[in-house]
Amino acid sequence: MTARGSQSRFLQSVLRNGVGRYVCQLKRISIIFSKKAQGSLGVREFIEEGVVDYAKKNPSTVVYVSPQTSRIPKIVAEYLNGNVREEIVTNKTSPQILELLTKLTNQSGLEIVRIRKPFHTDSPSIQGQWNPFTNRPPSIGPIRPQKQDSP
Amino acid sequence: MVFLSLSCWIRSRGPDRYWKVQEVLKHARHFRGRKNRCYSLAVRAVRRALVYATKSRKLKKRNMRTLWITRIAAASREHGMKYPALMHNLTKSSVQLNRRVICDLAVTEPRSFLSLATLARARQQEGFRAALGDGKEPSGVLSRVVLLQ
Repeated sequence: MTARGSQSRFLQSVLRNGVGRYVCQLKRISIIFSKKAQGSLGVREFIEEGVVDYAKKNPSTVVYVSPQTSRIPKIVAEYLNGNVREEIVTNKTSPQILELLTKLTNQSGLEIVRIRKPFHTDSPSIQGQWNPFTNRPPSIGPIRPQKQDSP
Repeated sequence: MVFLSLSCWIRSRGPDRYWKVQEVLKHARHFRGRKNRCYSLAVRAVRRALVYATKSRKLKKRNMRTLWITRIAAASREHGMKYPALMHNLTKSSVQLNRRVICDLAVTEPRSFLSLATLARARQQEGFRAALGDGKEPSGVLSRVVLLQ
C-alpha cells in the first residue's frame, strides 16, 4: 500500500528478449477444473473448442489439462524465470478465458509490482555526467614534455 | 453430583482473530519499535502510514518539481544566468522543454545545457536591445516568431 511497505522494481526486459529472437516466456499452463460443477462451465467449453488451437499457436508452451473433482477452476501459469501466477476462472465464459490466456502468454514472468520509472537506459549520459569539475577551467595548463636546456 | 453447567460456561469466540491481526501487522513489519509487533500500536501506525501515502501523492509531484527547479537554477548559475531569466527566455524562443527534461540534460548532458543557456542569453540580449535601442536596429534573429499555417 505504501511505497516503502510494498515491493517495487525497475523497468527491465528478460535478457533483451525481442532484440534478436523473441522467446515466449510462458513455460507451462495448467488448467484445473471440475467435470460437473457449474463454475467450470466456461472452462469446459474452452477445453472443447479453444485449447487445441491455443496449444498449436504457442508451440513453446506446454498445456496441461487436469480435471479434479470439487476444485475451484484455476489456471496456473509458470514462467521461465520461475514465477508462478494463478488465476481463478469461476463463472468465466470461453472467450474471456481465451483473452486471459493471451494476456498471460504476452507477459514476461517479471513480478507485477510498482515500476519505479517508466523508462530505462544502460547509457544515461552521452556527454559525460556532470561532476563539480565539468564547467571549471583547468588550474594547470596543458601538460608538455619538460624543456631540457642541453646543447 | 454431576456438574452440568460447567460446559455451558465455555464460549467459542471468533476463530479468525489471528488472521485479522496479521492482515494489519504485515503492513507494519518495517516500522520501528513496538509498532511492528504489538497490534494496538500497529493499528494506529498503519492508519497514519496509509493516510500519509494518500496525501503524499500530490506532494510528490510538488517536491519533484521544486527539485528540478533547484537543479536547473544551480546549473544555470554555473553559466552566469539565473533560473527565471533562463526559463523565460527559453519559452520566448519557443523551446518547449519541461523542467524535468532540462534538469536531466543539466545532469547527464552538460554541453547541451550550455548551448541552451547561451541560446537563452542571446535572446535576453536581443530583448534588452529591442527595449532600450528603440527601433533603429532591426529586431534580432531569435525573436522573430515563426507562424506555421
